[in-house]
Amino acid sequence: MTRPVFIAKTALFCARGDSPATVASALWNGECSAGQRKLGERAFPYFGLPLDEANWIVRAEQALRQVAGQLGPLPPETPLFIASSSFQIGHFEQLGAPFDLPLATASFSQKIGEWMGLNGAKYSFSNACISGFSALDAARSLIAAGLIDDAIVLGVELANDSTLAGFAAMELLSRTAGRPFDARRDGLVLGEAVAAVHLSAKPATWRIAGLRTGLDGYSTTGPNPDGSRIADVTVNCLNDANLKATDIELIKLQAAGSPATDLAEANALRSVFGQRMPPLISLKPGLGHTLGASGVAELAALLACLDADKIPATAGFSKVDPEIALFPMVERSTEHIERALLNLIGFGGGLASLIVERHG
Amino acid sequence: MINLTAVLSQSSAPADLPAAVRAALGKPLRRAAPLTQLALVGALACLPSERRQLPTALLWQSTSGPRLETLTLLDEVCSGSAEPMPYDFLATQPAIAAAQIQSFLPGLQTATHLPLDSEGSANWSLLLSLAIIWLDEGRCAQVLCAQLDHTADAASGHWLALSRAPLENSLAGLHLAQDTASEQLHDRLPDTPDVPSRLADWLARNDNATLSLQSPAAMRRTVEFTRL
Repeated sequence: MTRPVFIAKTALFCARGDSPATVASALWNGECSAGQRKLGERAFPYFGLPLDEANWIVRAEQALRQVAGQLGPLPPETPLFIASSSFQIGHFEQLGAPFDLPLATASFSQKIGEWMGLNGAKYSFSNACISGFSALDAARSLIAAGLIDDAIVLGVELANDSTLAGFAAMELLSRTAGRPFDARRDGLVLGEAVAAVHLSAKPATWRIAGLRTGLDGYSTTGPNPDGSRIADVTVNCLNDANLKATDIELIKLQAAGSPATDLAEANALRSVFGQRMPPLISLKPGLGHTLGASGVAELAALLACLDADKIPATAGFSKVDPEIALFPMVERSTEHIERALLNLIGFGGGLASLIVERHG
Repeated sequence: MINLTAVLSQSSAPADLPAAVRAALGKPLRRAAPLTQLALVGALACLPSERRQLPTALLWQSTSGPRLETLTLLDEVCSGSAEPMPYDFLATQPAIAAAQIQSFLPGLQTATHLPLDSEGSANWSLLLSLAIIWLDEGRCAQVLCAQLDHTADAASGHWLALSRAPLENSLAGLHLAQDTASEQLHDRLPDTPDVPSRLADWLARNDNATLSLQSPAAMRRTVEFTRL
């Protein structure tokens, strides 16, 4: 048995707003301001959630309940697929030494289930930046095969110093702004998000036409610059969707402003799409790179943009890098999009492509 | 019907892992966290060299995850100079394990890590369901499913290898069967971290023809093993 899998509803809470529609509107208006997060002597731009609460766990509950409210009432037994790269590490930072970490890494997922009013099966995914699409892949596979009918896929990435410090220590962060594909790009800007996608076997406006994940072991911090593994995953995704490259009308890039990863992604796109490159956008200059939540958060934001036929310009891009020789959209568009490809390229070698297609 | 081609349970003292890696590779694996070493030793033990080029997916779960490494990182970040040593941060990222073993397992195409939310439970039902679905749809030729854990005192790896094609040494068949929870016609294996060793026990006995794995209530089908 295999059946189509639809996106029944999305929810999103991030620096740009408290629903997919408000985020889409903010992106359309070019909003891309970030706050700041200090780390010792250094400060980095950071896209934090607009929440004043100082207690980490109370703040997390507020964010999760906000997203649960957007989803509306759900049968409590609905399976929950949780994607995060950091879970509740910020909570333990706040509690301080001695760090009383639970014996089960993802124990935070139980709390998330409680806050969302879901007491059915819970599965956690921690695959760095592609965690969200890994979770979507699993949920979609089970629905397509008829094992379940509905699933909530949740991306959660909440503020913590450990991730910021780790990325800073490896000099992967920009001190100014994310500039996808731009000649002046100098690193990522991190952010927080909680986002959810309700997947269902019941027909809805959008369906997941293709989804494939991959792995590039070239290095632990970035893909092969030739982009060959990324291209393989995109081609696998097109095959899964039974589509040709020319069927894709818009690409939501991974592009976060990383000098090496942006180049690898551009090389991959050139090898798959050749001279017929679809319009390209990156949402990260507006949302930040929300790591384990980024797949679900950017999917929710993009669908809201496409539902409104309002594709935002990519902030932060102004100067073409001759080595990349591709450029994201710098003008807004009201083009009606039927099919879009979303790319994720993860720290640690994870790769993922997803294609959404309008239904009916 | 999908084929079960390897059932493996390994345990060792964490200090012995580097030697196990050296024995498997003939050389040390530099800058590899214990979970990476466990993944490498187990994956190579499950797959003979002639099968390491085949398109492979790795689905692995862990209760401990990189808990010890996370404690080190927290200590550095919260009590130290704010920025950790890069390797100490990398060691907290479980996704890296797959990238580090890909050069020894060239067919490894994708890997998913599922941290567990409670002690004593596991997601073998999900891992094996996904493996069966992906093998049936031809996404890959083989899937490795694993539970990897390490503490200060012990390191363990429990593995099941599944293949789309039947092999000479296939141990059992498996498929997704209609879940008839009310029927207790045969044993039902609890979904715990040691499913592979329990499965090995069942294979060693010669009693029931089939064995089902407990699955969450929401799942309409359950993983069923069948003797060949």
